[in-house]
Amino acid sequence: MAVPAPIRVDAQVASLSQEGVASWRLRLRVPDWPGFEPGQFVMLSPGPRGAAPRTDPLLPRPMAVYRERRADGEDRAGSLREAEIEILFKRHGRGTALLASCAPGDRVGVVGPLGHGFAAISGRALLVAGGTGIASVYELAARLERRAPGSARVLLGARSGADLMGVSDFEALGVGPLIATEDGSLGKRGLVTDLLEAELARDASAHVYACGPTAMMRRCAEIAASRGAPCSASLENPMACGFGVCLGCAAPLRAGGFALVCRDGPVFDAAAIAWEVMP
Amino acid sequence: MSDAEDVDLRVELAGIALRNPVLTASGTFGYGTEFAPFLDLRRLGGFVAKSLTLEPRRGNPPPRIAEAPSGMLNAISLENVGVDAFVREKLPALPDGVVVVASIFETEIDRYAEVAKRLSGVARVAGLELNASCPHVKSGGIEFGQNPAVLATLVRAVRRATTLPLLVKLSPNVTDIGEMARVCEAEGADGLSLINSVQALEVDVERRRPVLSNGLGGLSGPAIRPIALRMVWQARRAVKLPICGMGGIASAEDAVKFMLCGATAVQVGTQNYLDPAAAAGVVDGIRAYCARHGFSRVADLVGALEMRRP
Repeated sequence: MAVPAPIRVDAQVASLSQEGVASWRLRLRVPDWPGFEPGQFVMLSPGPRGAAPRTDPLLPRPMAVYRERRADGEDRAGSLREAEIEILFKRHGRGTALLASCAPGDRVGVVGPLGHGFAAISGRALLVAGGTGIASVYELAARLERRAPGSARVLLGARSGADLMGVSDFEALGVGPLIATEDGSLGKRGLVTDLLEAELARDASAHVYACGPTAMMRRCAEIAASRGAPCSASLENPMACGFGVCLGCAAPLRAGGFALVCRDGPVFDAAAIAWEVMP
Repeated sequence: MSDAEDVDLRVELAGIALRNPVLTASGTFGYGTEFAPFLDLRRLGGFVAKSLTLEPRRGNPPPRIAEAPSGMLNAISLENVGVDAFVREKLPALPDGVVVVASIFETEIDRYAEVAKRLSGVARVAGLELNASCPHVKSGGIEFGQNPAVLATLVRAVRRATTLPLLVKLSPNVTDIGEMARVCEAEGADGLSLINSVQALEVDVERRRPVLSNGLGGLSGPAIRPIALRMVWQARRAVKLPICGMGGIASAEDAVKFMLCGATAVQVGTQNYLDPAAAAGVVDGIRAYCARHGFSRVADLVGALEMRRP
């Protein structure tokens, strides 16, 4: 399927709600939304409240599209006159604090959908996500489940149960999730990569999809490689533009040189990334 | 108050005829085609492409960018496709009627001249912008544009290599911008672009290291705008060369400020990252400003700043 052409529009906040400790669910009404592929992202600029344009913080923030909903409430890909897109994010800096302070009706600049998402695959899939990376894999899980029920399994990890996002959404899809928390407050005590090791030990034929902190994705890549399983990772480098011109989001490649996360990714073959020199 | 549709937005910059005074700045607009989904490039006065070197180059390792108050630092280094791939692949991908200024960037003077030469016979290239902010190895790593004698040698060599309109993009990291402007005028430049980014440092306090892998970077965005305006105004007083002004332009009002301080045209830079259609909005806003203030020609804004008398 062709990647939808990106748009640049002013969206409107439909709702914003806090979930867990520092996680937020933002719904945006986006005119002319062209649909998106799982793994694609948008650049969000919370708009000015008054007449003067905001300059601080200056840059838009890249956010995975969690899922979309047509105005009549039905999920659908393809071109939409107006859609609601959902963003899950954590407040960890000034940009996300600004997003977390939005009110319904506020304007948010949207550029997207951007990047290349997860390539469609067949067979079994293991989706491994931690932190804000959870937002990148929901739509993939939904589409895999729709196409081949039971083929996808979702593994989520966090420091603590309260840090997790979207758990009930994954439960509603029927794709698990299996959960690991470092403090043992939810699911198994330990790392989500421990869950991956156990799953691959049982069946190494699965395709691994990973999104989360660099250390987590690097470990996923190592585990998958050791089992001979293919692994795709969705990177989350800082970027200023999202469409290949600031050149800020360079990711070092094992073959030498760099790829741009926004233009060449954000999803990469995990074996192509030089994880040991990722900042 | 006149009709916005009747405002004459055309300007001539260093021998380049522009349909309006708004260009986009090198390094913030890729090779143009990246912006095709977001705006019609023909609505702009023109754009300055990503700086070109003789050979394709890879940039610095990450982190390459850092946010700063009302601005950002970057240290991308020389990453670009190289002059030949630009001519062969990037230029033909642009729609007709787009004014393209090619930016050149090198580490040695003879290499600068060679890049200029290779671009000179190319029909789609309307002019050259000489980026003088590259560290000059033979001068101990200071920028070409920081030493008047080195800058003079560079401009002279590139001037000999091309008959294309030649803009020299000045570094703001100097004590006397007027002196640098006069050097360019004396060596036959057709115009000046200013300012380039301001040398800066941002620190990761938790790790006690610079944020950028390169250590130092260039600060851009609204944070540098008043500095840029001051330097455009000083350069205007120093030379007769036309000036293309830039530094933190985010709106039409910002662009008008530069024109009032003496810029014939302007470049929108970092704002393109935030809003890929920003430059088109600046064009519309300048037209509206002219109509609101009774200017029938945008060129009449140039240098119209009225300084207060003591």
